[in-house]
Amino acid sequence: MVTLKIALRSLLRRKSRALTIGVLVAFGTLLLVFGQTFTRSAGIASRESIIDNFTGDLILYSERSKEKPSPFAFNTPLPVIPEVETIRAFLQELPQVEAVVPFAQNYALLQAQKDGQAVELPFIFYAIEPAGYRDIFRNVEMRQGDFFGVEGGAPRQGILISEYQNQQYQKNYGVTLAAGQQVTVLSLTEGGSVNALRSELVGLFEPRYFKNVFNYINFVDMESYASLYNFTGVAADSLPESLTRGLEASAGDEEAIFDLAEDEDFGRLDLSSLRSETLSGYTMIAVRLADHGAVDEVIARVTAAGLGLKAARWDEASGFFARISSGLQAFIILATGLIFLIVAFIFMNTLIINIVERTSEIGTMRALGGEKRFIRGLFLAETLLLNIPFSLAAMLLSLLAVLATGAGGLPLPETISQYLIGGGPLALRLAAAPFLEALGIVIAVSIVATLYPIRVATGISPLAAMGER
Amino acid sequence: MNAVELIEARKSYMLGETRVEALRGVSLRIEKGEFLAIAGPSGAGKSTILNLIGCIDTPTEGRVLIDGTEVEHLSDTELTRYRRRKLGFIFQSFNLIPVLNVYENIEFPLLLQNHLSRQEREKTVMHFIEEVGLADRLKNKPNELSGGQRQRVAIARALVTRPLIVLADEPTANLDSETGHRIVDLMRAINEQEKTTFIFSTHDEHIMEHARRIISLRDGLVTGDKAKG
Repeated sequence: MVTLKIALRSLLRRKSRALTIGVLVAFGTLLLVFGQTFTRSAGIASRESIIDNFTGDLILYSERSKEKPSPFAFNTPLPVIPEVETIRAFLQELPQVEAVVPFAQNYALLQAQKDGQAVELPFIFYAIEPAGYRDIFRNVEMRQGDFFGVEGGAPRQGILISEYQNQQYQKNYGVTLAAGQQVTVLSLTEGGSVNALRSELVGLFEPRYFKNVFNYINFVDMESYASLYNFTGVAADSLPESLTRGLEASAGDEEAIFDLAEDEDFGRLDLSSLRSETLSGYTMIAVRLADHGAVDEVIARVTAAGLGLKAARWDEASGFFARISSGLQAFIILATGLIFLIVAFIFMNTLIINIVERTSEIGTMRALGGEKRFIRGLFLAETLLLNIPFSLAAMLLSLLAVLATGAGGLPLPETISQYLIGGGPLALRLAAAPFLEALGIVIAVSIVATLYPIRVATGISPLAAMGER
Repeated sequence: MNAVELIEARKSYMLGETRVEALRGVSLRIEKGEFLAIAGPSGAGKSTILNLIGCIDTPTEGRVLIDGTEVEHLSDTELTRYRRRKLGFIFQSFNLIPVLNVYENIEFPLLLQNHLSRQEREKTVMHFIEEVGLADRLKNKPNELSGGQRQRVAIARALVTRPLIVLADEPTANLDSETGHRIVDLMRAINEQEKTTFIFSTHDEHIMEHARRIISLRDGLVTGDKAKG
């Protein structure tokens, strides 16, 4: 009790010095709490925004792929995933899975007319199942036409372009497209041939979030995409028995192949049973989970099932977006760390000045029978009595600042907001952790900054009470 | 048993690059209840002897026995505890704790000892506050007191634990002569009343008159040991 009494009164005796230190500690705490609340909120908003708008909780892709999925990988599409329906059925059986949406990325050219001349416009797109995609991702706000007719009306095939893309066409090529307009889509297939598909511009949209990316991304329905890139084959169950035998034989030895020459059935190949089948062309499958925390479990199940797939969590599949909030968090931690380092040094020096000024007082206490631990406790008490109240005051200020932002959230510059959370104000989320962490850090820094001054203080001999020799 | 015994105590220390011989082999015995002055000019070794007896310094050579205990080999913590139990200090510059009031300054050594209840502490503190005549100044801080009043507080603080020995290093040096006399009279009265051993250093002839025994020092050696009556 006497320790606290002396500590408190000693602080009050040097008010201006204590106030300077207290304000520095409060500033550091404010930065820590508000900064952590900001980055945590940004981290959560970023994750939700990425998951809700373009990755889901995870993206499955072919195990043959050397690249990871990315919202920007249009020039190097990932390998096609075979047996998508089997995979979809498997995933839908998992209790953790809420929705499954396969899609692909690619690029093509749109051929439009300008002054009687054909103009070819660059066109990067997601090939999607419109209904499924619309169910999971709500990133598209229609400006003209509709979203492939999935929200009322009859489902339609065609293409959907962003308004921004249309403005770029106007700016760079002098061409403006309108919903309902017929266009020709030109694609370069893997075989090297150019395919052309007559299609319709079913609508123009504006992305709600991540405009800096989705302003450049357009949409094609999956069936148009399959036609455009020759994702058409022969259904395996429609092959004639004789052809199946022949194919099996061709995998064996030479004798078996020569034996085919004598096979009458093989010579009379009946092609009437053949049936064409549209292959998907899907390169990725976005999976949305009922619980974000079940990602690892679902990845483990998919891996164990041997479906020939690899998995990328939402943050791995988001390109650099997920790293922005982590980077910001690291920056704030670094900045706060530096501030606390400076505060700790100033604090340490101030304490040492205090100790030098109080040498005789400390010597007297030692002479009267105060042990080193008493002196240690005294300075530690002074430190904590000063730093904790200022720190708590800063926390209260942070709390008020967070509450003041209200439901509307904290407005951010649009460019920063787009990269950080996909756009719009940041809803600050109150959590106990930043407050507890800040308190812990303030206490830890206070103790560490007091260690050396305490060493100096406890090194003062009781002889100092008599006057230094 | 002697309260204090110094046997061939020597103390030297370095002052820059010069070795200073503060004590050059001092032997003396002080009995319990004595009222003793250590006299001598500046640099004679008065404070050094008080520091050795007060267990706040150790001899370079020789032995120091306080109440029969050899203290020169005790650890820092043991010396601190020993001081707390056996010794009281009165300093030349009073050395009151500036943030504590009169009552709290006097109570401070009892709080360090931590073996009395609050009521017992209060009774003891009030007894000594009345002894030194400061009952009306309980709540005053040291900077609100005169030099004489501060030294009275220091005397009460030194006595409050009922120590075996009270050491006073030039207790009147910062006081005017009249106040100095009153302070020494007070110490003498308490010595007679409480039977506490008082050892004080001084170079003031008038103050020395109050002592029952005077040990004279010069250049680190005892040059005289005179008992009165």
